[in-house]
Amino acid sequence: MNDIGNIEIQQLSLGFKSGFDTKIIINDLSLNLKAGSFTSLIGPSGCGKSTLLNAIGGHYKPIYGSIIIDGHEVKSPSADLGIVFQQHTLFPWKTVKENVRFGPMRRGLGRVEADRLADEYIQLVGLSGFKNYYPKMLSGGMQHRVEIARALANKPAVLLMDEPFGALDAQMRASLQDSLLSIWKNTQVTIVFVTHDVNEAIHISEHIVILSRKSKSISEIIDINAIEDSSTESFMRSKKADDLRLHCIEMLSD
Amino acid sequence: MIFMKRIYFDMKIVMVRNIFKILGSSISIFLGIFIWQFLTQNDVNFFLDFSNIPTPFHVLTSFQSVVATKKYWEDIYWSMYRIILSFSLASVVGITIGLLLGYSKIARLIIAPYVELIRPIPAIAWVPISILIWPTTEESIIFITFLGAVFPIILNCWDGVKRVPVELVKAAQSLGAGNLGVLIHVVIPYAIPNIVVGMSVGMGAAWFALLAGEMISGRYGIGYFTWESYQLIQYGNIIVGMLTIGILSSITSGLIYMIKNKFLSWAE
Ligand SMILES: Nc1ncnc2c1ncn2[C@@H]1O[C@H](COP(=O)(O)OP(=O)(O)OP(=O)(O)O)[C@@H](O)[C@H]1O
Ligand SMILES: [Mg+2]
Repeated sequence: MNDIGNIEIQQLSLGFKSGFDTKIIINDLSLNLKAGSFTSLIGPSGCGKSTLLNAIGGHYKPIYGSIIIDGHEVKSPSADLGIVFQQHTLFPWKTVKENVRFGPMRRGLGRVEADRLADEYIQLVGLSGFKNYYPKMLSGGMQHRVEIARALANKPAVLLMDEPFGALDAQMRASLQDSLLSIWKNTQVTIVFVTHDVNEAIHISEHIVILSRKSKSISEIIDINAIEDSSTESFMRSKKADDLRLHCIEMLSD
Repeated sequence: MIFMKRIYFDMKIVMVRNIFKILGSSISIFLGIFIWQFLTQNDVNFFLDFSNIPTPFHVLTSFQSVVATKKYWEDIYWSMYRIILSFSLASVVGITIGLLLGYSKIARLIIAPYVELIRPIPAIAWVPISILIWPTTEESIIFITFLGAVFPIILNCWDGVKRVPVELVKAAQSLGAGNLGVLIHVVIPYAIPNIVVGMSVGMGAAWFALLAGEMISGRYGIGYFTWESYQLIQYGNIIVGMLTIGILSSITSGLIYMIKNKFLSWAE
């Protein structure tokens, strides 16, 4: 189990074609994320966090360099690379339950087993009463929670999350952060977590990767675990955490 | 108690409103029939010639005698049979081609030019050629009706596939769906509202083509019935034929509406 989901990014360049020239978004980025690690990705808006995450998920081809997961180059999306997208991507013609069991059923699970899994994860995000609702009948935040449940129910080796808690209130956010942490501890899934919220990044991840818009690459990697177990209340209130916060915010406004 | 009274009061308002609506429509229709009676009874001939048009009462008696004949029901049977057969064929072919056009670059390269070329030709323009091609007129009528229905279905289905949001496709792929899975679980459901629109338009076009085909080369069918009535100077039956056509095409549109409601509960 422990060695599934090791991500190696080598000299990666990403960009979008517009007409004849290509707009480079990520330039010469190298990064190694160990199997079972929990990494937050922060950076100013438009610096390419979503682009990088989509590329790890197999949705964008590198212009140069490669992304290698467990020794295999990522060439296309797969069920092992789960994504919670920044946009709403629930299937509007499927109910909450049908959306969540979609992944497990693609993997060849029977209806009963897939339903059981779906129920479990719908309960986890606190939407048990809404199983048979269509996405349209849910609020934006509820839809995001269903997307999280749908990605988790598929039990991917790598979980890529693009600001998954952005649209939630503080309480729901805290509760889902705890759920995510316990899932992570139990399953050893490798998590890459994009967020705007420095506090959130410090609280839930082992490492923080700060992207810079200027260099189109990494400006700093902070190892929180080297400091202390960051998920505890006392750490979050400590002087060290304060310093870390200030440092991150400084780095973001470069 | 106050609450109950309130509901009772609301119900009363709704009932009064409905009665008012029905009353209004009835008055309007009766007025129309009255004008019709007036024009035909007095053989008004002022630019428009009403002297040969049957009176409403005449139509009613024609209707009563026609319903008793076996031929009337056979004609209805033939038209419905042709519509259902050609429309089903058009739906299957139209949806398949529409999906191919939207989903496969190669198909688009090969099929799209033909679609663009043939689409502007109205189905009725195919009548002579199709009589020449098909062994019997029966088949040529079905072919023409099929042509009428198929293009709106192709174009609307294609359009729907084109609009599928790339995010939904990405989400399905990241959950383990392959090309077929994306087609079945994302592309087709997304295109269904468009397909249904194409089918409604196609149904109208199918009736149009069917009636033209039946009038020009038919031997049975409600279109033929109407045209034959003209030729046999049974003017009352012309109107009976027209009204029958109206009823039949409402029934088929109603069927499509039912299909739509069944498949599109999620969109409400
Ligand atoms: N499909 C696309 N085609 C062309 N350009 C794109 C596309 N997607 C993103 N971009 C561009 O790439 C850059 C990075 O976008 P990206 O969405 O990765 O930023 P981000 O860091 O996730 O920002 P945010 O924090 O606001 O979500 C932006 O300048 C954007 O305009
Ligand atoms: Mg983003």
